Amino acid sequence: MKEARPAKGDDPDNGDARREAFGRYVLPEVGMLLRVARSMSRRPADAEDLVQDTLLRAFRAIDRFDGEHPRSWLLTIMRNAEINRHRRRRPDLLDDPDNAITGIAAVPSPASEEPEAIVVGQTFDAVVADAYTKLPDRYREIVRLVDLDGLSYAEAAAVLEIPTGTVMSRLHRARSRMRDRLAAAGLAPRRGRR
Amino acid sequence: MWTWRRRDHDAVASCREVGRVLQSYLDCSLDEITLRRVHQHLEACRRCGLDAEVYTELKGSLARHAAPADPSTVARLEEFGRSLTDPSAAADHPAG
Repeated sequence: MKEARPAKGDDPDNGDARREAFGRYVLPEVGMLLRVARSMSRRPADAEDLVQDTLLRAFRAIDRFDGEHPRSWLLTIMRNAEINRHRRRRPDLLDDPDNAITGIAAVPSPASEEPEAIVVGQTFDAVVADAYTKLPDRYREIVRLVDLDGLSYAEAAAVLEIPTGTVMSRLHRARSRMRDRLAAAGLAPRRGRR
Repeated sequence: MWTWRRRDHDAVASCREVGRVLQSYLDCSLDEITLRRVHQHLEACRRCGLDAEVYTELKGSLARHAAPADPSTVARLEEFGRSLTDPSAAADHPAG
């Protein structure tokens, strides 16, 4: 764990306002930041370091933050922190799909379900997991951020530095591909012409 | 956010129109009027309704696989964050 070091030139008079803003906008988002950092980092320790860097940068910049869309603001900071963290290549979002979707056996089924429903549910989950791992990287990273990490379109766009419209179109295509695999497995109706 | 053209507000949404905004509907990213129109169409059109159901189950399946953030790591990071706002910690660790 790093030492907490405020920036040089901190204004003591402004300290209370900064602390208040940091507590209101940043601290409640630590869990979200960690989930997304995990998507951007190969190792858990890297994810934790990345969140620490993000918290430090956010604290130093909090007096310039206007209070609008704190998640997008934090995700942009994290994205920049990641770029500065000596990684010149694209972040390895989902380099290892096994880290994102674990074994189907680990998915709990409600005890009240009938055995048939449990089998069908597991099959459905298995096909979805397989379809997810087979998505092209650019589609899988969007699904990961929106459907697994729970980000909005705008927040995912901030992480990936792409337009929101691109997030939407990639997500649409990704889900469409997964749906086609479900249809091929007989778990969804085949797509008809409209 | 996807929004319907004003002159279309009272028209019945077609399958094609609904298909264009279905993903945004499922992600709760539509304005209220469009959302209502899509909802009405999905209630009335069996094929689109089934489509929406499949995508809803697909999203649910993906969400079930999302591993939650490790609580002890979150607690550690929150503590780190709080230490940034602690004036006595700042005195302990001068900037530099």
